[in-house]
Amino acid sequence: MREYQVRFCERFGGVTPPYLLDFINAKDKSVVSWWWLSVPLFIITMLLMKTLYMPGTTLVSNIRDLAAKEQYMSLIFFLISPVVLIIVNAFSIRKIYYLSGSLKSMNFLETVWFNILIIIFSVLILLIYLL
Amino acid sequence: MNFPWFKRIGIFFIPASIVGWIILAAGFVFAIFSFMDIDGRSHSVSDTMMNFVFMLLIIGAVYSLIAYMTSRVPKK
Repeated sequence: MREYQVRFCERFGGVTPPYLLDFINAKDKSVVSWWWLSVPLFIITMLLMKTLYMPGTTLVSNIRDLAAKEQYMSLIFFLISPVVLIIVNAFSIRKIYYLSGSLKSMNFLETVWFNILIIIFSVLILLIYLL
Repeated sequence: MNFPWFKRIGIFFIPASIVGWIILAAGFVFAIFSFMDIDGRSHSVSDTMMNFVFMLLIIGAVYSLIAYMTSRVPKK
């Protein structure tokens, strides 16, 4: 919790107001999402390196090979996980949007930039996998 | 049970109670065990590191999910 948030809570006798909890919750959710997204991103980086060092292969063909060998793992990390993360982060952004009042609010973009980044990466992973 | 077990600092969840420390220690023990297991089966240092980092990320993802669920402050 940031210093200004702590000072704000102190005004309420140390009790965190529910809407501020939603802001903190959104930040925590995006951090968990980042950890879950790091696994497919790591695999894609490794496959990109494989593509560079093995002539005649492409990222898509390497992903198809992996999907054929590790059916369940690829399904979890390249399909289920990004879809869940997109839904979770989209709902977080929606909730914060209603709480912050408007898009013009600086606090809104400052709070949700990480959620937006997670959604962009998730969409990228989905596109690479479904190509 | 007394919540929260963890507090978030940046992208990491730090234990805030004895249960949190036990979970972190269990994660470390499992990471060491998987390193020894992977190292025993791999053919080179890069082979070990690639598989171990992958395992470490999965441990981190599961740990962060547990930490997130047990670090939420209940609404009053």
